[in-house]
Amino acid sequence: MAKQLGFVLDANCCLGCGACVKACQNHHQLAPSVSWRQIRKVEKLSNNHVQKFYLSTACNHCGNPECLRVCPSGAYAKRRDGIVLHRSEKCTGCKSCVASCPFGAPQFDPTNKASKCQLCYDRLDLGMPPVCVQACLTGALVLKELDNISENQLLRLTAPRPSLRLTRPSVFYKLPRATKLSNPNQIMD
Amino acid sequence: MKLHYNICPRNCYDTCSIVSTTRNGVLISVEGNPLHEYTSGKLCPKALDDVKKVYSPQRIRYPMRQRGRYSGFWERISWDDALDQIAKKILGLKEQYGTSLPLALNKYSGNFGILHNAMEGLLTGIGATTRAVGSPCWSAGVDAQTLDFGSFFCSDPLDMAKAKLIWLWGVNPAWTAVHQMPIIFDAIDHGARVVCFDTHFSATAAQAHQYIQVHPGTDGLLALGFAKVLLKESLIDPNLQSYTLGHKEFIHYLETEISLERCSEVTGVPITTIRELAVEYGQTHPACIWAGFGLQRYTNGGQTLRAIDALGALAGHLGEQGGGVQYAQFETWRFSGAIQNPSHPINSSSKANQTSINSLTLNPQKTDRCLNINQFSEEALVCTDPPVKMLWISGRNPLSQDGNLQQWKKLINQLDLVVVNDLFHTKSSEAADLFLPVTTHYEHWDLNAGYWHYWVGVNEPAILPVGEARSDLQIAWDVSSRLNTLAPGSCTFPTSGNEKETLLRELSPKMLELLGLEKPEDILKGPIRAKFPRTSWKNRTFATPSGRYEFFSTQAANAHLAPLPIFVPPLAPSTNTPLRLLTPHHYSTINSQVYTLDTNKTQYVLHLSPELAQRYCLVSGDRAQIWNELGVLNVIIEPEFGFSTDVVVIFQEQFDANSPLNCLLGTPSTDMGHLFLGARGFALNETFVNLKKL
Repeated sequence: MAKQLGFVLDANCCLGCGACVKACQNHHQLAPSVSWRQIRKVEKLSNNHVQKFYLSTACNHCGNPECLRVCPSGAYAKRRDGIVLHRSEKCTGCKSCVASCPFGAPQFDPTNKASKCQLCYDRLDLGMPPVCVQACLTGALVLKELDNISENQLLRLTAPRPSLRLTRPSVFYKLPRATKLSNPNQIMD
Repeated sequence: MKLHYNICPRNCYDTCSIVSTTRNGVLISVEGNPLHEYTSGKLCPKALDDVKKVYSPQRIRYPMRQRGRYSGFWERISWDDALDQIAKKILGLKEQYGTSLPLALNKYSGNFGILHNAMEGLLTGIGATTRAVGSPCWSAGVDAQTLDFGSFFCSDPLDMAKAKLIWLWGVNPAWTAVHQMPIIFDAIDHGARVVCFDTHFSATAAQAHQYIQVHPGTDGLLALGFAKVLLKESLIDPNLQSYTLGHKEFIHYLETEISLERCSEVTGVPITTIRELAVEYGQTHPACIWAGFGLQRYTNGGQTLRAIDALGALAGHLGEQGGGVQYAQFETWRFSGAIQNPSHPINSSSKANQTSINSLTLNPQKTDRCLNINQFSEEALVCTDPPVKMLWISGRNPLSQDGNLQQWKKLINQLDLVVVNDLFHTKSSEAADLFLPVTTHYEHWDLNAGYWHYWVGVNEPAILPVGEARSDLQIAWDVSSRLNTLAPGSCTFPTSGNEKETLLRELSPKMLELLGLEKPEDILKGPIRAKFPRTSWKNRTFATPSGRYEFFSTQAANAHLAPLPIFVPPLAPSTNTPLRLLTPHHYSTINSQVYTLDTNKTQYVLHLSPELAQRYCLVSGDRAQIWNELGVLNVIIEPEFGFSTDVVVIFQEQFDANSPLNCLLGTPSTDMGHLFLGARGFALNETFVNLKKL
């Protein structure tokens, strides 16, 4: 039966430490200029509270992947477990996917081809977690079957433009608590 | 494929147990050991790059000689040649001056493995020498806690999961002790509230429920302010009489000397917040304070820690499961010390009466000339009878980390020979004559203990040494061997040996008892936790002279320090240098150690508040300059939320910059450190600069 695997990140305990990024780069022996996973820092200030958190992001293995739709050479495929695969042997390096992915997941490699997170499908097939999940120190990053999760308190990642939400990214976030500031004037000035 | 157990030997809270994998003798991956309760199968991003680091093309694989210091003209030489030069210089100096005191060692925590103390052993074997003593890191806090509790000890870090209130004070575990974060999250899941106190909004503050910004160096006064509220609200432990000494004197001090108005004004924390937090701290049990090393890198650092300890004691949180005031410990470092003392009885007979020492404090011999590690260059320069003529730097990079670089340059000029043991070229090796390539922890046997958790374990080699690298122990044997060939009897340190047997000799009967082992060989099975109860000072029997927690310390009085914890203001900025420069650790490095090999950052990044940036007409990305009477540094401006307007911060990231960050540092001393560690600490945070746009 078809299912959809996806990352769920609890921003309450993502330290932004980058262990997931390092583990991915080392395991897949990526060129220094390429990183399939990234850390974004988000800061939201309100009266006397601040929400500062990190989002560890990679390919979102969308339900309706734009990369797959635009690729002229059929290098993309979607597995029955929802993983969006990029097949390097079919890639001509035309960069259509690089330009069209709303999340910037496919990256142009020094080998003149696109490359992106493959969700460590080879490890999954052996019953092992993806290396990023394995490396996460606090358990903030997990892989789930999205059809089975309760979406309570979870936020689905959305793309900046409404039309791009149609890709249905398979990623959920648990929003972090805010930190109360006791001397906001001094800090916010 | 083969698996090996290693231990990360950095000067870091976590001292992780690593499982490394080799294939055909090549290291291919490293992972956290899932059987180690603190590491719990995970590694920080620094250690994850170990494979790259071991095989890095920049790593020095052969002994090298520099033709002219700072020239960068390095040529490969043989070990024979290197050992010969070293041994002949040592013997020559000994003959010229009639003593080996012209030979100096500057060594600390580049690798905290016990076998690295072979360098001390070698020098002790040669005779009386000049040594760097003390610590650049935690000295004032160690003295403060030892005065208060009687010995330097903390709870098992897992104990923190039981706290209902956690105060993270001057500590940034999200960057510098990542394995503690899941424990803190566990406490939060069980209802704990977390408050973070710091000088800037750190990554840890972002994970806390509440953040309190404290003016740098005023934390001691804040603690005393909290104590005063406890007193007013009758929240002090009614049983103080039974297990503490001098609480009445301390209460009298609070009543007469501490005013909340002044406390608020000096610390920058509103009075209402001080009241609310103090009441919560007094009413919540268990409540844990984790006091970080950053707090005590001020001229008043020891007093700050004593004030925080006193706050914990007054509220009755000491000895409480999940509570207490946690800083660090060295109770799990009770090794025999045989390696650093060639005349130790265990070296001649296994049946000898075996003592144990504290291998972290490095116990120099009485005849040695001891210089404060934090003022090493200044103190070495005034040594004239005899002068320091040869310097051996091992596990350190003083030219990148120490203050007073001008004095360092002067010292280098008067030396006949500078030897550096390291993995990579450093600022210090630029000034060296000889570079001896050392092994990483994947290439030698070692024995490691944590100073935060209670685990001790053996590090086994996974691969053969890369290139011609040798372990510090091997180098020490080889130098001793060469000395004895040239002049028989000139060094009592062993001339050869077996690394594994040498480490087993470090397991004194006391250590075996702590670990619950019958014989030393049992440690080879895997890392093991010392059999201490999880909660320190649980029965409230302390190791002080009075056996009580000492608010009033006669030991302190005897050392001409205030017997009670008092507030002494930190240094104040001057009109020429109005901004305090803080240089805390970054998540990607520990001091100057190499982790990120492909750094592309060439300029230091100066973090400051948007308001301060505006005051100097600076915007994000601007080039600017900071300077003081000691040096000048070019920086890139990064205004950021969460900094107060009197500080600027440069995190110690790895930069490929021409001018080192420490060109701005002097050598201000902490108030304590000399009582139990042999030298005062480095008041690094008392550095002031001016700022201008370029």
